[in-house]
Amino acid sequence: MNWPQLLVTVLTLGSIFGVVTLSLNLQYARGGMINFGIVAYFAVGAYTYAIFTQPPPQGLDQYKFGFGWPWWAAVIVAGLAALVFAAVTGWPTLRLRGEYLALTTFAFAEVFHSLLLNERRIGNGTVGLARVERPFGDWGPIEEKYVFAGAAVLLLVATLVVFRRLLVSPYGRALDAIRDDETAALAAGKPAQQMRRQVFLISAVPVGFAGAVYAMFTTLAQPSLFTAEVTFIVWIALVLGGERSVYGVVLGTVGLVFFEEIVRAWPFETVRSAQIAAAVEHVVTGLVFIAVLRYQPFQAAATRLKVSK
Amino acid sequence: MTFPGGAAALNGTLLEARHISKRFSGLQAVGGTDGLSFSVDRGAFVGLIGPNGAGKSTTFDLMSGVQTSDTGSVLFDGHDITRSSPDTIAEQGIGRTFQTPRAFESLTVLQNVVAGATSPGESLRWAFGRSWRNQETATVESAKATLQRVGLHERAAARVGDLSGGELRMLEVARQLVRDPTVLLLDEPTAGVHPGLQERLAGLLQDLHSGGMTLVVVEHNLHFLLALADHILVLAEGELLAQGPPADIRADPAVISAYLGGSDAA
Repeated sequence: MNWPQLLVTVLTLGSIFGVVTLSLNLQYARGGMINFGIVAYFAVGAYTYAIFTQPPPQGLDQYKFGFGWPWWAAVIVAGLAALVFAAVTGWPTLRLRGEYLALTTFAFAEVFHSLLLNERRIGNGTVGLARVERPFGDWGPIEEKYVFAGAAVLLLVATLVVFRRLLVSPYGRALDAIRDDETAALAAGKPAQQMRRQVFLISAVPVGFAGAVYAMFTTLAQPSLFTAEVTFIVWIALVLGGERSVYGVVLGTVGLVFFEEIVRAWPFETVRSAQIAAAVEHVVTGLVFIAVLRYQPFQAAATRLKVSK
Repeated sequence: MTFPGGAAALNGTLLEARHISKRFSGLQAVGGTDGLSFSVDRGAFVGLIGPNGAGKSTTFDLMSGVQTSDTGSVLFDGHDITRSSPDTIAEQGIGRTFQTPRAFESLTVLQNVVAGATSPGESLRWAFGRSWRNQETATVESAKATLQRVGLHERAAARVGDLSGGELRMLEVARQLVRDPTVLLLDEPTAGVHPGLQERLAGLLQDLHSGGMTLVVVEHNLHFLLALADHILVLAEGELLAQGPPADIRADPAVISAYLGGSDAA
């Protein structure tokens, strides 16, 4: 097994999805909002980046928009697009609570996924956008894959710092109060609805950035990459990491990505062994999840580092 | 119907309900035929009593924005707050506690009280900066002093899940006091509170009253309330049955019949 390659991939994808999990953590664990459509905001970031960096359509291309912007400008637009998408989807949904909000956000994500599948003028339909600019290249002696990993980690750290700064402030305390007992928080003068909306919008921005980095990494923006499965993987990572700790959330995500990648990269000697492995993978996955939930290693690690929120 | 609140009456009306009413699933909770009307003078100590289901807590909900009145209006300091949100009303100076005590379970006792105060750092604009930290120090000190005042200072680091029912009520009072409200609506503050804390609460309410705070207290413990309040409103089936000084209420046959159930009950 190519361990350096595996670790770089885990670091890159773990950081990208870590950003998404952190945002979900802010929405759910602190804002009390269940978002089962987080993949849509991720997809908005990826598609926006692709559309704004790709060249205008040529030949057999069915998409209508390609602006050829520089990568850094497209990344900014990706974050803004996720923000706008959150504003549009949050406006009618955030009055809802609990499972109603969960189902509505899920429905929004499915509608968006269907749009991507069927509206070829936006993203080439099922084929997707494959001419995504990969901007970094090798930096001197540093290979491109390490540059990518560094960029993803940088985005993760920046998200972590910003969110943590917000959450340790009185704003974070007010969010906790609203989540614990909204009626009592209102009686204490906390504008619950307004703050919930702010959190929904703020948390969408890094998800848009993460979508852009993901599109760069895969050089592809395709509907099959943005299914509901992504939403539930991120939710699993959140649960595994422990919703109360932002660092646990990151560790949980990286751990989950590591597990998935090692299963994918394991070198099987024979076809038969690969078939057996495929058959037992789900069983092993379930057992690992149960063990993680029972012993909560990521939360414990975060606590030991004295960084638990 | 304005009533005299002793010397406080000179200060004019602070809180007023004009023909307010509320129905739940078609059943009249507050208001009767003409709506419920009453007013509270600035600096008054008003007791709101009545049998179970009389509409006392719903009246508090209508005054604090937790529920919106179906009819009429609620005025606070001359401003119509009938359709204002609860947080806006709280910011304007109306504090309230609830019949079932409420607390922020993930926070400690001290943090609960600090969360009651308004901090500049609660605004998104300032949360990312550091300017709120100076104010935060003052807020924490104020919260500690408030906990001392309600007798919970030794429980400051405790989780609210470890508090007794009585302590939770005192915590709720503290969370409102730290906001320094103009008027404080207390819903059954002595329910589940042991006699020692009740005594402290009585002293605290007297202090607040003499300090000029307007108090409206719903209470089933009439011994407690009639000894403290300078005016009583009696609700029955959502309507104002009687009002007046405690001595008059004690002797009112309609009140005795509807609520007290006996001449010596109070």
